[in-house]
Amino acid sequence: MTVFKTSLRNFFAHKGRMALSAVAVLLSVAFVCGTLVFTDTMNSTFDKIFSATAPDVSVSPKDAASGDDVQRSRKVPTIPASKIAELEKVKGVKSAVGDTVSTSITAVDSKNKKIGLAEGAPSVATNWDSAELSSVEITSGHEPRGPTEIMVDADTADKKNLELGDKVRIIAVPGDATFTITGIATFQVTNPGSSIFYLDDETAQRRLLGATGKYTSIALTAAPGVSNDELKQSVLASLGPDHDLKVKTKAETKEENKDELGSFLDVMKYAMLGFAGIAVLVGIFLIVNTFSMLVAQRTREIGLMRAIGSSRRQINRSVLFEALLLGVVGSILGVAGGIGLAIGLMKLMGTMGMNLDTSELTVKTATPVVGLVIGVLTTVVAAYIPARRAGKISPMAALRDAGTPADSRAGRVRAVLGLLLTGAGAAGLAMAANADKAADGSMFLGLGVLLTLIGFIVIGPLLAGVVVRVLSAVLLRMFGSVGRMAERNALRNPRRTGATGAALMIGLALVACLSVVGSSMVASASDELDKSVGADFIIEPDNGVIKPQVEQAVKRAKHLEHVSDYKLLENATITTPDGKRVKDDLDAASASYAKDLRSPVIEGTLVDAFGKNAIGVPEGFAKDHKVALGDVLSVDFKEGGTAKLTVRVITSEDTAFNKGAIYLGVDTAKDYIKPDQMPQNLMMFAAAKEGQDREAYKSLKAELTTYPDVTVRDQADYKKLLEDQIGQMLNLVYGLLGLAIIVAILGVVNTLALSVVERTREIGLMRAIGLSRRQMRRMIRLESVVIALFGALLGLGLGMAWGVTAQKLLALEGLKTLEIPWPTIGAVFVGAAVVGLLAALVPAFRAGRMNVLNAIATD
Amino acid sequence: MAARARQVVKAYGSGETRVVALDHVDVDIARGQFTAIMGPSGSGKSTLMHCLAGLDTVTAGHIYVNETEITGLKDKKLTQLRRDRIGFIFQAFNLLPTLNAIENITLPMDIAGRKPDRAWLDRVVETVGLAGRLKHRPNQLSGGQQQRVAVARALAARPEIIFGDEPTGNLDSRAGAEVLGFLRRSVDELGQTIVMVTHDPVAASYANRVLYLADGRIVDEMYQPTAELVLERMKNFDARGRVS
Repeated sequence: MTVFKTSLRNFFAHKGRMALSAVAVLLSVAFVCGTLVFTDTMNSTFDKIFSATAPDVSVSPKDAASGDDVQRSRKVPTIPASKIAELEKVKGVKSAVGDTVSTSITAVDSKNKKIGLAEGAPSVATNWDSAELSSVEITSGHEPRGPTEIMVDADTADKKNLELGDKVRIIAVPGDATFTITGIATFQVTNPGSSIFYLDDETAQRRLLGATGKYTSIALTAAPGVSNDELKQSVLASLGPDHDLKVKTKAETKEENKDELGSFLDVMKYAMLGFAGIAVLVGIFLIVNTFSMLVAQRTREIGLMRAIGSSRRQINRSVLFEALLLGVVGSILGVAGGIGLAIGLMKLMGTMGMNLDTSELTVKTATPVVGLVIGVLTTVVAAYIPARRAGKISPMAALRDAGTPADSRAGRVRAVLGLLLTGAGAAGLAMAANADKAADGSMFLGLGVLLTLIGFIVIGPLLAGVVVRVLSAVLLRMFGSVGRMAERNALRNPRRTGATGAALMIGLALVACLSVVGSSMVASASDELDKSVGADFIIEPDNGVIKPQVEQAVKRAKHLEHVSDYKLLENATITTPDGKRVKDDLDAASASYAKDLRSPVIEGTLVDAFGKNAIGVPEGFAKDHKVALGDVLSVDFKEGGTAKLTVRVITSEDTAFNKGAIYLGVDTAKDYIKPDQMPQNLMMFAAAKEGQDREAYKSLKAELTTYPDVTVRDQADYKKLLEDQIGQMLNLVYGLLGLAIIVAILGVVNTLALSVVERTREIGLMRAIGLSRRQMRRMIRLESVVIALFGALLGLGLGMAWGVTAQKLLALEGLKTLEIPWPTIGAVFVGAAVVGLLAALVPAFRAGRMNVLNAIATD
Repeated sequence: MAARARQVVKAYGSGETRVVALDHVDVDIARGQFTAIMGPSGSGKSTLMHCLAGLDTVTAGHIYVNETEITGLKDKKLTQLRRDRIGFIFQAFNLLPTLNAIENITLPMDIAGRKPDRAWLDRVVETVGLAGRLKHRPNQLSGGQQQRVAVARALAARPEIIFGDEPTGNLDSRAGAEVLGFLRRSVDELGQTIVMVTHDPVAASYANRVLYLADGRIVDEMYQPTAELVLERMKNFDARGRVS
């Protein structure tokens, strides 16, 4: 028990030295818990709104789109209004109400600005009926009546400053219509982000479906005492075996809605937990260093304990017990921090338009448990090796005048193991770079990345010796003896320097790797654009497809040489000459599309693919199904109709855009697919008349001012868009890696702070023989900079190797141009030096302020 | 005079817990002489040395190194003083473990950004007999050799005074005699001024003059001491000290 008492006392006596380790545990645990709390809260918020809005039982057409799927053609699957009367008679139905819902709308205000709440969250238009009152309450004005009235939800009205009497234009597939706001409805539960617009029953049908007398679904309310499942059964029974309807209970609707959202939330959750994991890994280095240094400083004390009869196991346990305390304290604070983080995230989402209520914060019991387990396990595992080393201290240590034993000789075993791992990893990377198949290559890449990382960590202390000497030769020479002492100090404990640098290496390697891949992506896409895109203008909707009236607007633009349609025909069935049936998506476009995107061709002339009853297949398809030029393929369109199409072109797959696409002409498709079922354009392309680029761009922009949900870009703007999108993604990832990097920086501070304590007497001696405070501080700063640069150099080197390998591998997928972003790499390197300086601020200050007499006093 | 102390008081704490370590001490340290300061534990001898060397501040009084008053100097000036005009030899932990012998010896000059005087350096190294070991790190040297490196460091910068705080305290008698021999020779042959705190009568016998300190006051002094005389004086003084 005394052993525990001493560790307890030690813990509190050295709480300052433990502080940074505790912060590292805290940050990692907070990130894990914050992620869990945030995603749980999102889930429960959506759960509530889905519960509130889903009817007891819903009846909808079998081919109805689920959830937020976009409407791709003019025709919407519907149920005739007459079905309502039929369903009302079914036993157990209390009431049946028709619903008209469309998510394929864009609402704009009188200044042609989009009204949608959050980026990516849907805007929904629906018919108003009394059943809606279960989830909303009209808080001002009245419900929509007649063809020009609209009611909007309160969150949207608040955020977009809409008032009664304001005009709202709804752009829907059947056409545009302008309404006046006559009511505002407030949700009884939190509505996370959808903007909802209510129209009266008939207006909704006319404006959203293009015809009256039908609904997109029918909502049934169960009579008292009838369960939803029973109701579903009796509805199914009454419909008989031959019907083309889907009957779903409330629970099923909820599940369906949640599935879509859930997978998104899951991706987010696991991505964030992945980054938290990296931070945990980095934190381990910090904790190992802390305990190693505490044990080293306490050598005499531990020797004394052993001399007076403590067993190895007791010593070992006492160190682990300290780690346990650290883990518990850090984790508890971390759990609290995590909840704070989740609230912060929710507020952040709020500024981006999402509506989350912090009073609905969901903290499941699992969250603190997971946080504590991760925090405590990490700490105890990290402290295990130092604890074992403490146990091995001999009782003689108490009698020796023990300075800190310097273990400058990193073991030969370590060298061999590290070199083997690094070598194997390098081989993996080389194989990935030369792989023929992406699947094999990515396996080698993963293996290579993992092995080189572990190899570098193992070999770190040896590399520290080499790299620090080189860095010092380059950077520290000018600082004379202060520089030399900084170099020697960084080198005196290679294991510690290695671990501190390795922690920084991990985060920076990922940054370097991603920056190489990201800028190669931009460079490759921009090269491809220059090489194969002939279109001057690219017209893209924000989401979904281009609505018919927008298509017309584009075609009205002047100074254009041509405008190309481009649609996707999903899930067509192709019967090949060998009798196999293959399901694939087809790319249908105008003949001019052959000029817009000059897809490389193996056989034939590209434009022929878009001719009547022609088809173009990619080389892979041709090879797999032994299709040659002139062969006839039978194509069953999902939208109806079967065509016999002749293969006119075989395209190369050596391209980044439309890789592996099966081409046919829009005109061909029109012969087989009814106009109202023909999918709308996914994108459109246009080329200006010779020398009229600027006028054409202006005209296109002018035509599209009333349709803010569609954007036209010329090639330069399109390149910028690609750059921005990739840049944004990279920034997000860098931000998340920031956590791991912060923990690594704390590691540098920690190492320096503990080193200063450890070297108290040396510092005193140097001060006594005339080293000024300023020189002392500079010495510590230089040591810190060298350690940080060591980590940066390793990380950047490793990360660039990974990035280059990834690019070589992805060249198979069209990432052909390697671009190393030297400005970013340089900035990271310089940034590391700055981090080194900042990390040394406090330790250097403390060293400078040390009392000379205390420092040289022989205790 | 190489250094002077006038009415120096050093007190710790205040009120009832006030402890006076130096009680109105006047000392003159003659140039080119080897002075030993002796006294029982707690007599204030280390404190006196720390104050004379500018390592510690005084509560009252004045200290001069050469003709410069150092009491009241700011840390920066004091550091420069120690670097350029004073040498130190401590009882233990005199050397930086990361630097080899010659780097340790030239450290004060390196810090100051001065080039060492080659000829002088060679002479010092030869005097302390370290020629073959200059590239060794401290942990590759014996305790005696380490102290000799410390002596060489103190001599190399040609300071006005060298202060030694029990420089032979951690050495066996043979190694101790060697180190003291060097100190003596540096006074005789190089004209160095040395002040050494010790409680070893044999060590004190190497000095030209011994000052006796008790309860923060100079109580006696002795010129041209021998070990026997010093020991005799100490016994006597112990008895007397206890009575008073």
